[in-house]
Amino acid sequence: MNDQRTQGALLLAVGATALFLSFSDLTLSYVRAGLRPLLGVAGAILLGLGLLSVLQGRRQAAGGEDEDWHDHDGGHGPRVAWLLVLPVLVLLLVEPPALGSFAALRQSSLTLAGGDGNFPPLARATGGAVPVGLSEFVDRALFDKQHSLAGQRVRVFGFVMPEKQGSYRLARFVMYCCAADAEVVEIVVRGDPTPRQPDQWVTVEGRWLAPGPGPGAAPNTVSDGHGGRLPVLAAETVTVTSPPRDRYEHSIYGV
Amino acid sequence: MIAVKQASTSTTTPAAAVVTVPPARVRRLFDARFLVLLLAIAAGSRGLVAGVLDGPELRTWATIFVSISVQALPFLVLGVLLSGAVAALVSPAWLARALPGRPLLAVPVASVAGMALPGCECASVPIAARLVAKGVTPAAALAFMLSAPAVNPVVLVATAVAFPGRPEVVLARFLGSLLTAMVTGLLWSRIGRDDWLMGARRRNQPEAPGALNPDGGDHRWEAFAQTVRGDFLQAGGWLVVGAMAAASLQVFVPRSLLGQVAGNHLLAALGLGLLAVGLAICSEADAFVAASLRQFSLSARLVFLVVGPAVDVKLIAMQLGTFGRRFVLRWALLTFVVALASGLLVGRWLL
Repeated sequence: MNDQRTQGALLLAVGATALFLSFSDLTLSYVRAGLRPLLGVAGAILLGLGLLSVLQGRRQAAGGEDEDWHDHDGGHGPRVAWLLVLPVLVLLLVEPPALGSFAALRQSSLTLAGGDGNFPPLARATGGAVPVGLSEFVDRALFDKQHSLAGQRVRVFGFVMPEKQGSYRLARFVMYCCAADAEVVEIVVRGDPTPRQPDQWVTVEGRWLAPGPGPGAAPNTVSDGHGGRLPVLAAETVTVTSPPRDRYEHSIYGV
Repeated sequence: MIAVKQASTSTTTPAAAVVTVPPARVRRLFDARFLVLLLAIAAGSRGLVAGVLDGPELRTWATIFVSISVQALPFLVLGVLLSGAVAALVSPAWLARALPGRPLLAVPVASVAGMALPGCECASVPIAARLVAKGVTPAAALAFMLSAPAVNPVVLVATAVAFPGRPEVVLARFLGSLLTAMVTGLLWSRIGRDDWLMGARRRNQPEAPGALNPDGGDHRWEAFAQTVRGDFLQAGGWLVVGAMAAASLQVFVPRSLLGQVAGNHLLAALGLGLLAVGLAICSEADAFVAASLRQFSLSARLVFLVVGPAVDVKLIAMQLGTFGRRFVLRWALLTFVVALASGLLVGRWLL
């Protein structure tokens, strides 16, 4: 980090990357969409600052000015600043994908708030099935006193985590701020004869395996192996789909 | 021509000869043009080496590393802009008048002032360092650094949303974090020594001499830009170190280890405190993660919320770069113990 222009170039690189991220859908693999305007502002500020540094560096070099006070008192710029290149390079060269089944296997399935057990009505059915987000499905299956899912043909969407014996889990990550705080929600899919690949995105239409009759009957669930319970969906049709633009679900509270 | 001349001029300064190990020839390579070339190649070959990270661990590591870096960037920029504004516009005399001189008063005032900064923890480290450089009692500046990311309105609203129908969790978090900031600040004013903080005073001073002279209107803007640039490069570099550490802990240490201590109250609180240190989640999002840790008691989860914004691996890395090695170990240990105790105490009272 020896001269002002190098520092400026580094700021330009980080700023340009932030500006690029504020427009690119790639960003949605890492942070929530609401952060994109902030990334744009931060990128623009860093670009301006970098440009200023480069211009100042040129002017000083042209003037033969070696009385460069900020270069004397530690202004050599910390060498640790070079590390800022690392996320830029990883981002551009590797383009790490959104979290998938490997990360999901390491976590217990998320059970959301549940609240008081009362839920708003389901969305309207389209094409013969009610579209339900995976976290909403889990929430209703485990906590809804009215059993609003019972008997409904629903359509859910997520990536596959294969299991033994013909069944697999369907999962999605729920993100609050960035992928580091994302938590997985999972359900068990039964009755699909076709073996599925890990991380394959599928749309499943089917019916929730409701608990047996009688008041207070426990929901029909399967252990997730981490101490959590997973609801079960009996598949009727399964369609392989392309991954969505935003691979995460977001907090149902919109924060 | 000009560029080569500039590079060789700077290699002749004594400081450069001490600091940099590589010979001048290598160093000259690492100048602006090299960086531009490198990034141009990278941008032109986007996603080209995606296959290199074939292992799922490495891919997950890269995703989390990039996520933490990207997520922190806007808040880091906010922090260094404010630090630059303090450097350029606020005179030490004004600060001395605004803040009480005695730590016994200054620490609580600074802790409460933290409510006004709506950011997460990355923003507050450069600001605290700048305040120390401006002559604010270190204990007060550090108390501000602890309280700002934890008790600001954005974080409290997020906590309320994550725990619907449980306003006592929000209150407990607020009190626990405020208590942590005040007690740590006051303890630091008793046992802390200013020379542990030498790094902050020495290193972070790219301020123009005479920037605050009444006649130097032009220098002020320059001082602002210099400070912002220096602070960003410094804190940003260490932020990357912290993001690497947090990503490694998330991917390579199984979280299921924690499940075994959920039953024991004290062990669970200690476990979640350590989890908060390792995960390094932004304080605006940690309440949601806490809400999902259902097998733990509410007061253990409160410890998670109180420890997280005060001490985590990302913060430790940034403080290491800003305040130095002699400071950071003592500070991290002190903060962790006080935050743990505050969380347990407030949890016992309110939850």
